[in-house]
Amino acid sequence: MQDFFEIARTDFLATFEGAWMFPLLMAASALILWREKDWVRKLLLGALPLLFLLLYWCPLTGMVFMKLLGENVYWRILWLILLAATVPYSFCLLAGSLRGYARYGVLAAGLLAIGLCGTPLLASTEFQASTNVYKIPQNVVAVCDLLPGNIHALVSNRLMPYIRMYDPTITLEYGRNILVYNGREANGPQAELYLATQSEEIDVSFVAPLAKSEGCTFLVFSNSRTYDGDWEDYGYREYGRTEEFTIFADTDYEEGQDTRKWEE
Amino acid sequence: MRLEILLTALLFFGGTILSGYALRRVLKLQGEGFLFSAVSGTMLWWALMEVILVPMTMRFASFQSFVYLYGAAVLLLCVAGLFCWKDIVEDARLFCADWKKYVTPGHVVALALIAYQLWFIHHHMYLEWDDTYYVNLANEAVYSDKIYWVYPETGAMADFDKRYVLSLWPIFYAWLSKLIGVIPTIMAHTILPWLMIPLAYMVYGLLGRRLFPKDAGLRGMFLAFAVMMHLFMSGEHTAGLTFLSITPWVGKGLLATVLIPMLLFCVLRTADGQGQAGKSGSFGDWLLLGITGLGGCLLSSMGIMLSPLFVGAAVFLAAVQKRSVPYLLKGAAACVPCVLLGIYYIYLTR
Repeated sequence: MQDFFEIARTDFLATFEGAWMFPLLMAASALILWREKDWVRKLLLGALPLLFLLLYWCPLTGMVFMKLLGENVYWRILWLILLAATVPYSFCLLAGSLRGYARYGVLAAGLLAIGLCGTPLLASTEFQASTNVYKIPQNVVAVCDLLPGNIHALVSNRLMPYIRMYDPTITLEYGRNILVYNGREANGPQAELYLATQSEEIDVSFVAPLAKSEGCTFLVFSNSRTYDGDWEDYGYREYGRTEEFTIFADTDYEEGQDTRKWEE
Repeated sequence: MRLEILLTALLFFGGTILSGYALRRVLKLQGEGFLFSAVSGTMLWWALMEVILVPMTMRFASFQSFVYLYGAAVLLLCVAGLFCWKDIVEDARLFCADWKKYVTPGHVVALALIAYQLWFIHHHMYLEWDDTYYVNLANEAVYSDKIYWVYPETGAMADFDKRYVLSLWPIFYAWLSKLIGVIPTIMAHTILPWLMIPLAYMVYGLLGRRLFPKDAGLRGMFLAFAVMMHLFMSGEHTAGLTFLSITPWVGKGLLATVLIPMLLFCVLRTADGQGQAGKSGSFGDWLLLGITGLGGCLLSSMGIMLSPLFVGAAVFLAAVQKRSVPYLLKGAAACVPCVLLGIYYIYLTR
């Protein structure tokens, strides 16, 4: 029970903390319940958000939903509260009884209230100016432009999420969830390679033979990495370099060769 | 890229409008206008895709065969829509006669805000961590011709993750990519926002029209406030409304910003006696509600649960107010597709 309230509280705050959207929603619901004469609208636009809040906070229903949805995404129950219908409807109820310029006043005041109660989403620092039509980081594009297609590669964590979005013909030795996937711990050569390539100084005598045996024809590491050993001694050569990454290729690789792993 | 955006928008909105007219004819929902046709046509496309895609995925069908089959089904719908040309001409005539109704201060503010949102999103990127799974799922479909049998993050052949197998929304934009000839990454990140953001606000346009059938000024204000809510909602990573700006190509975001508001619109149609058509709760309205719920199942596995939960709660409240058991039963019947998929989901994941 304590866990339920902790999760519900954390998720609720993640959605409403740092802004006044929740008080605005409560005020809008109250206004609709008070002013609306049509009972269907009163219930669907004023009472329904409150019912979902009740279902969200009630341990009995909450724990059932948590079981069905998953604890990590319990916050999605809050999506059922249609703020963008309830709040606008309440402002329109106010404006409905007015005529002429007074209506424009409600329009301006409503927009201002929403602006002040909320947070400007488009000002988020997570939006970056896009530099390519794929809308992926430019350093990924720079690496992909050097890499040939139809290859199997082991790449830096910074590239891993995006590289196949640019060129899906490249297969990767491991993805984001290499160590734990769906609650299962992974081990084996892929996990070993992943762990070995996370250190600042990469042990070439360990990584190169293992990568080669796993069929990684290309390796891409950040330029900040240092190497204990010479890649050429272990069958890899420097293939190319960008501002941020160095690409190594298997010396046995021939241009145009299809080295993808797992493909039929 | 402008040409690709324009072509996709023409294909999507042209196709859904025609399909919407065909659906309206079958459901006997006349005199509803272009907006309603576009949105109901979209719901039909998504529901139809769910019906076609789930069995094809389970039977290891190739993506190419899905493209042909679904493309043919959509084409049939569009052709059926062309037979409704009298309705289309009538709606066009009414729109031309009433266009001044759509030029209110609220509409102008709303359009300006939507234009700014689209411009901003077109020139910016938001790096979504989960794209490596979902967008690559679409990429794999196009490049390997396999639906969901390749682990999208690495390209490894793998048994599918059963949590998502009933809700393969990325295959929808893989299909669009195949038709237009761009990689799904570009379709998702650059083209889809131009379709999904207007679509979301079309739903709010419909809601406004339903709530204020006789007052164009209030309709415009309702839309302007709704757009503003999407641009200023708190909880960037958790609130449903924010997903329309940050990741309008992600299925769960569309569930929150298009599908659930559309469910409210459908429930209002069944419950509210003051709508445009003058009637409420016709068989067609209930069927549209069921189609919309099924469409939600395609968008996200969350939709399989959240759609019936929303409809159940909303219909329950309306049924209590109406003191009508048949009304409640009709609402339950509209949820049957979602409930069946929900049972199948539990069977798959347990």
